[in-house]
Amino acid sequence: MAPQRGEVLQGTLDLIVLKTLEALGPLHGYGIAQRVQQVSEDRLKLNQGTLYPALLRLLQRGWISSKWGASENNRKAKYYSLTRAGRKQLQTETESWERMAALMARLLGGAEGA
Amino acid sequence: MEWLRIFGSRLRNFFRKRKLDGDLDAEFQSHLAMLSDEHVRRGMTVEQAQHAARRDFGGVEQAKESYRDQRGLPFLETLVQDVRYALRMLRKSPGFTAVVVLTLALGIGANTAIFSLMNAVLLQSLPVRHPEQLLVLRYTDAQPRGAEEDFSYPMYQVLRDKSAVFDGVLTRSGVSFNVTYAGQSEWAYGELVSGNYYEVLGVRPWLGRLLSPEDDRTPGAHPVAVLSYGYWQARFGGDPSIVGRKILLDAQPMTVVGVSAPGFFGTEMARDPSITVPMMMTLVFKPVPANRMQSARHRWLTILARRNPEISVSKAQASTDVLYHQALEEQLNALGSSVNAHDRGRVLSSHIQLDDGSQGFAHLRGEMQRPLVLMFCVTAMVLLVACANLANLLLARSAKRRKEVAVRLAIGAGPGRLIRQWLTESILLGLLGGAAGILFAFWLKTGLIRFLPADFSSNLKAPMDAKVMGFLVIASVFTGLLFGLAPALQISRSSVTEAMHGEAAVTVSHEHVFSLRNALVFLQVALSLPLLIGAGLFLHSLRNLRGVDTGFVKENVFLANLNPSLNGYSTERIRGLYGDLLSRLRTLPEVRAASLTTSSVISGGWDQDSVRVEGYQPRQEEEVSPNNAIISPGYFSSLGIPFVSGRDFTDQDTAARPKVVIVNQTFAHYYFGDANPLGKRLSMDDDPKAPLDMEIIGVVRDAKYVNLREKPRRHFYTALAQQPRLFDMTLQVRTANDPRSIGDLVRAQVHDLDPNLPLYATTTLEIQIDNSLIAERLLSWLSSMFGMLATLLASVGLSGVVAFSVARRTREIGVRMALGAQRRDILFLAMSQMVPAVGLGLVVGLAAAYALNHLLGSMLYDVGSTDLATFAAAGILLATVAALAAYLPARRAAQVDPLMALRYE
Repeated sequence: MAPQRGEVLQGTLDLIVLKTLEALGPLHGYGIAQRVQQVSEDRLKLNQGTLYPALLRLLQRGWISSKWGASENNRKAKYYSLTRAGRKQLQTETESWERMAALMARLLGGAEGA
Repeated sequence: MEWLRIFGSRLRNFFRKRKLDGDLDAEFQSHLAMLSDEHVRRGMTVEQAQHAARRDFGGVEQAKESYRDQRGLPFLETLVQDVRYALRMLRKSPGFTAVVVLTLALGIGANTAIFSLMNAVLLQSLPVRHPEQLLVLRYTDAQPRGAEEDFSYPMYQVLRDKSAVFDGVLTRSGVSFNVTYAGQSEWAYGELVSGNYYEVLGVRPWLGRLLSPEDDRTPGAHPVAVLSYGYWQARFGGDPSIVGRKILLDAQPMTVVGVSAPGFFGTEMARDPSITVPMMMTLVFKPVPANRMQSARHRWLTILARRNPEISVSKAQASTDVLYHQALEEQLNALGSSVNAHDRGRVLSSHIQLDDGSQGFAHLRGEMQRPLVLMFCVTAMVLLVACANLANLLLARSAKRRKEVAVRLAIGAGPGRLIRQWLTESILLGLLGGAAGILFAFWLKTGLIRFLPADFSSNLKAPMDAKVMGFLVIASVFTGLLFGLAPALQISRSSVTEAMHGEAAVTVSHEHVFSLRNALVFLQVALSLPLLIGAGLFLHSLRNLRGVDTGFVKENVFLANLNPSLNGYSTERIRGLYGDLLSRLRTLPEVRAASLTTSSVISGGWDQDSVRVEGYQPRQEEEVSPNNAIISPGYFSSLGIPFVSGRDFTDQDTAARPKVVIVNQTFAHYYFGDANPLGKRLSMDDDPKAPLDMEIIGVVRDAKYVNLREKPRRHFYTALAQQPRLFDMTLQVRTANDPRSIGDLVRAQVHDLDPNLPLYATTTLEIQIDNSLIAERLLSWLSSMFGMLATLLASVGLSGVVAFSVARRTREIGVRMALGAQRRDILFLAMSQMVPAVGLGLVVGLAAAYALNHLLGSMLYDVGSTDLATFAAAGILLATVAALAAYLPARRAAQVDPLMALRYE
């Protein structure tokens, strides 16, 4: 019934979270999870709980910061936002990801053509 | 740097666990709530929505777990878990824990005790400012005797004033004082020091002030003294008002100007100077020779320099050597033709050598180094034996804990996790053993120091400092790892299925376990045997030394030193006092004989004087001069040395009469061969034109003089009554009974003659000889103790292995007995399995001892390092102990009832 769901590659989750925070600004864990599912059109299989260790990892590296706040429904929630270091990290990661993606595309395209 | 921040955050989190857990809970709850809100909005019931929310979120506990791993220090958390678990297991088997901790306490404690002595004797720096900058000045020449460190005062002046590579150069020389204060006299060791001594060392005063260069300007004009803290406490009860008062040193009033800081013990280990006085007071305390301060020929000072940290040692050495050579040439030129070309060449061939002075002057270190390092190796071997023993014990235990392991494997613990758990347990045991070992180490160390002679041990500080404690902790952890490794690996090999099928597992791993256990028995035997052999060699050597023919009778001789010359007596008055003292003592009923000598036998030192002998032409390179002692009449009867021919000195041999001399057999034979030495003449004057003014009147039997190991030496005795000057003498009193009981009587007689004359270094000849054998006694005592400990451990281990194996084979034994095997056969079966391990252990042990024991060579006396009897005795002893250790459990096995045995398990 569900469309084919891909496993989240290790390391890519970090990039996805950073990108989400860049696009939407400060957001709580639930919001990030929603956004990820929405953008991937549910093709990404994500246990939402696994988001949290990734968030913590990013916190520890100093790429994001967190603060308690209130959600739109007035629930208490922890908001995450991108730091300056995070922004820089996102840029480098994006570039290297694009390079890698282009390389893979060329490789796989070439293989198909052969 | 990033890892550091992450680590910091993790470490912080480790300690804020409870609050963070609450935080995480709240965050998850809000997430779930928002999820279910969303589902409700899409039309689910609240209950359905909550369920769906949980599904979307995934496992809450798993998420928390991996979050926690990321957050804190999982390693540390697991460690805490492991330690808790290990403690619980150890509490559950207190007998096992007690045995292991006790064994380790002995092993680690012994290592720590020896290390604390090594630390004190070999590693401790002087307690002064930047000790690593200090350098000992020495010089070497073409002679093979090694570097010397005695310099003349003029040479010191040159090095102090002209050298640009040092931040300060100090000198010192030991001196004896008769200290009189408030009517009490006693002897004390002190030092003459250069004025800059305390400045260069960077020692602070505790009270008053210390000496400065201002106190060292004009010869004889600085009657000031500094007390050491220890002496101030012991002699003056720590009374601060002593500063500014006068005390009498050798009858010279000296003002005490201060007390040095506690902990400062001078520049030579275990030679703690009680009093320091300025170098310029030398001629008051060392009046002879009168030109001591000007003569370049009298080398009596040791020098310590503080290196300029900017200049390398090799550069400083080169520059100092140039300075030294310039000074030598100037001195030789000043002496002119009185120095022959041979001596001149020899002097100029010497070179300055700068040695590490961070530990000061260390004659003790040279003596103690080998015995200490050897003992350290011995204790390390004992610890290894203990490790092998415990590894075996743990293997037996791991067999019992198979079920537990099976359960843990079944619920998903990986082998890595299990190994960690087991190593945690054994390291914990190691640390517990180490902690208990502190007590044993302290006891052993105190005992060892007490073993040393009093004048030496009272100044030897061997604190249990941070270095010793660090060693203890490292040794404990390492030991734990070592004995835990084999059982831990053993465990990790077991698989779930194997472990669950109790019986099958036993037979499957049977072979493997056994080879490991036998290897450990082999190791223990192979390590114990060299220790036993070493102990045997030392005991043998000590017995040889004790039984050596000393040439004198060592029993019932009381010894004491006195030095009336320090109190400013004239030589005539000293002679009178000595004569009075001896005749008073000889009237006592307890006294058989009494005499005086400049050197007492086996005291470790002796005077050597060159002689010219009638009819003897010395060879060019004849270096060693004969020994000489100045003695009073009665010397030979006090020591029980018999005359071969001629007579003793008498009271008639006075300064006014012709000079007479007594020689020993070796002297007589060396110079006169088989000719009669009586009536032959000799002289102590180097000048070949001087007359041979001394006549040989007696020949005595050879004796041991400096130490028990020496070969026969040439020796001559001169008469006290015929000496131009007299210094300190040793009084020797032969008593009818216990010589120790006469001390007070002798002291009373001396006090009667002069209340300001202290009697010091009182002892007996037997104690003096025992003290000369400290290293030997220490080594034989310790090596026997540790050799027996190792043997005991090995035999306990062996016994355990046999007991374990017969317990496993109970059913097999039952079958064999049912089939008609005799008890004798069972006994043989149980014991014979140990033969390969023990036999191989004995062979390897013998080979190792053979290979290693030549290191002991020079420490042994009159026994070869491969002495066959000792090797055989030790081998037989160990084999017997091993057989007995195997027999006890084997006999139990042979006594089982076959019916019971068959039903076993």
